[in-house]
Amino acid sequence: MAGKSGRSINNVPEAPIKKMILSWEGILVVLFILINIFCASFSEFYNLSSLLRQMPIYLAEVFLMLPMAYILVLGEIDISVGSIVCLSATMSCIVCNTGAPFIIVVLTGLLVGTLCGLVNGVILTKFQELPPMIVTLATQIIFRGIAEIVLGSGGSISATNTDGFRLLGGKVGSVPYILFLVIILAVVFAVVLGKSTFGRRVYAIGTNRLTAYYSGIHVQKIRLIIYTVMGTMAGLCSLFLISTSYGANTTTGNGFEMDAIAMAVFGGISSTGGKGNLAGGIISAFIIVCLRVGLGQKNVHAQVILLILGVLLIAAVALPNIVGQVKRVVKK
Amino acid sequence: MQKNGKYFTRIPKIFPFFLLGTNGTIYMNQKRTAKGGEKAVSEYVLELKGITKIFPGVKALNNVQFQLKPGEVHALMGENGAGKSTFIKVITGVHKAEEGEMFLNGQKVDFKGPKDAQAAGIAAVYQHPTSYPHLTVAENIFMGHEIIKNHMIQWKAMNAEANKLLKELNADFDATAEMGTLSVAQQQMVEIAKALSTNAKIVILDEPTAALTRRESEELYRIVDKLKEEGVSIIFISHRFEDMYRLASRVTVFRDSQYIGTYDVDGITNADLIKAMVGREIKDLFPKPEVKPGKEMLRVEDLSRVGFYKNVSFNVRAGEIVGLTGLVGAGRTEVVESICGITKADSGKVYLEGKEVYIKQPSEAMDKGIILLPEDRQKEGLIMSWGLGRNVTLPTISKYAKNGINDEKTERELAKKLLEDVDTKAVDIFQPASSLSGGNQQKVVVAKALSQEMKVVIMDEPTKGVDVGAKAEIYAIMGELALKGYAIILISSEMPEILGMADRIIVMCNGRKTGELSRQEATQEKILELAMEKGPSNGKGAK
Repeated sequence: MAGKSGRSINNVPEAPIKKMILSWEGILVVLFILINIFCASFSEFYNLSSLLRQMPIYLAEVFLMLPMAYILVLGEIDISVGSIVCLSATMSCIVCNTGAPFIIVVLTGLLVGTLCGLVNGVILTKFQELPPMIVTLATQIIFRGIAEIVLGSGGSISATNTDGFRLLGGKVGSVPYILFLVIILAVVFAVVLGKSTFGRRVYAIGTNRLTAYYSGIHVQKIRLIIYTVMGTMAGLCSLFLISTSYGANTTTGNGFEMDAIAMAVFGGISSTGGKGNLAGGIISAFIIVCLRVGLGQKNVHAQVILLILGVLLIAAVALPNIVGQVKRVVKK
Repeated sequence: MQKNGKYFTRIPKIFPFFLLGTNGTIYMNQKRTAKGGEKAVSEYVLELKGITKIFPGVKALNNVQFQLKPGEVHALMGENGAGKSTFIKVITGVHKAEEGEMFLNGQKVDFKGPKDAQAAGIAAVYQHPTSYPHLTVAENIFMGHEIIKNHMIQWKAMNAEANKLLKELNADFDATAEMGTLSVAQQQMVEIAKALSTNAKIVILDEPTAALTRRESEELYRIVDKLKEEGVSIIFISHRFEDMYRLASRVTVFRDSQYIGTYDVDGITNADLIKAMVGREIKDLFPKPEVKPGKEMLRVEDLSRVGFYKNVSFNVRAGEIVGLTGLVGAGRTEVVESICGITKADSGKVYLEGKEVYIKQPSEAMDKGIILLPEDRQKEGLIMSWGLGRNVTLPTISKYAKNGINDEKTERELAKKLLEDVDTKAVDIFQPASSLSGGNQQKVVVAKALSQEMKVVIMDEPTKGVDVGAKAEIYAIMGELALKGYAIILISSEMPEILGMADRIIVMCNGRKTGELSRQEATQEKILELAMEKGPSNGKGAK
């Protein structure tokens, strides 16, 4: 072009190794190892086989963390997922108790979850000005309300035909199916978010929605897809929950949304959108799972475990700020 | 030409030295009076000497100086990144300079923070007023120094006082109006009233006309004149030469964090100033190539949107640059937003290459070959925290992805090529867009449009807030796009830009097209006449 300076712009990326070690994910890996050493020295029962045996209950929540990471990257939040888990667990149990084939039960769980997610997505994309926090707060109440009405006065339901769920809770050797599924889905979700066109667009929307829109990205379509998938994954989560407890009640899935958000945020995914990746989210999910199993074995109170997790979370969120301040002081 | 460029960059290195020498004598005089123990009487209300401000890694100001005479309007000019804003922040106490001294009426002062500067009678009005949109005008004016009696805000007194100030400025709104309902020009007026309410003796106006229309600028000129009459000294920062000629008596130029010189406005030419600011000569600011327009690319017929614009019709041919001008609020941006599917038109038709198209979203417009480069680079054009490469390829990533997975190698290569095509001044494609100057950011926005085959490129105020050197480069790119056969719609409020670049000029007023002028017949006066045909715009467009 005329008047061109002939300036050359570098397009060779830096070697990633140094970056990786100093990144938040690097710290998390170290933390993961430390937590395991800590748990092993703390509890004499803590070893790989006990870990594998007790993991499934906690792993179900990882299903929620995966799509929740997408929603957080969008800069949004979905606090209705716990209720979706409750509703789809309830419906699956009811269908199961009619004697329907297990595949129908599975489809029911997934379908109910998907529909709930779709409701969230449709509301949020049709009325774009509504804050996701408030909309999903409303649907949280509605979904759980429906579940409670269906459950009736007893407030709980047991799956009478547990064969299918037993199968779902099965193992290959000593490794539970759920671990395989979590790993497969984690890889899929991580690759889509980190490497795919879709993922790039999610980051674009989360960082600057207007620019994304002007750049020809179907912002609302992508939001709708993510909220719907969130629902589907909540349905999947509910099925594995039943496979450990063989039933559902009004408190099923209580607080799951917060656990999922905590795992993601602890993994470095910012709730303001556009930052973090699923590698961090997945490592942090496993840190939390291991910590819960380890502390649980030593009969540490559930409330105390929550307390520890809370402190960890605040530390994780505050750490970048603290590091920044320390750097500034050192420089001065 | 390249050699020439290098040659010219050399001269100024000697230039500031020479000026520093002459000013050294003033420095000596100053010292003597101070030492003499008399009441310091200074020729200047404000004087800064040897100011150096260092940010981590960069010298934002390097030994700069500045003198402000009482009651003068002093323009401060320089390219983006020359250090003007940092300098202003040193004066207003926001930043503390590492080296240098500041004198106020001959007395040495040392501001600890913005409060000190305010107390000393220095007030700054910024380009984008930093106000509280949900509070009233009076509350904004008296924010921080409310009129209080017995711990109660005296609303009546405050509103009356605010109205008095507004009346002095000839404002056409009341002190009880909510700030957010005012236009940018009116909000600036409030900021000026705020400065007056603190009895400021030195008012700094930081690019006040950048967001104003011509009419509103005229109004601002009037206010500045009035302040000057009242003995207020004014520092005026602007990229517009006409502002400087109209208002200032002296102009100081900064370049690359350094002081270049202070000149009397009488007797300085555009060419001199540009040379001082850019460090080289710009031969042709508007390199408009002669292109014979090809076939019609885009035609708009009777496009209407209630409350915004009505019955707008025009066409653009291949290789043609059509200027779309008018006052801000005339409905220019709204029309092109409807063409691109951002807002929906109520009636009317849009034809692309003779075929009627129905576009509901920007993505559809881009698929069909129409792209809008929005006015607000930071909010709509770029993702500021992202690397340049990713910004450039954002609209097209799916085109070279394999099974939905990004092909990052191809992407990097394409980004490099596109960014080099528009001659972006960048080190690598990974640096964030926020690290570039406004002009270079605009080039990245243009590069985004080039990442795919486009037919119609719509540029909304492409040189807003861009310095003169980068402006010329953007015009050059625009000319090349026209040569390549793109149909270009250029929306602009800047008269020289429209006159210099457009083949045809469409003027809008209050949501209506009021005229169309060819390049040959267009003059500044004719455009202005058409732009104000139906009386003053109320800023809200057609009813």
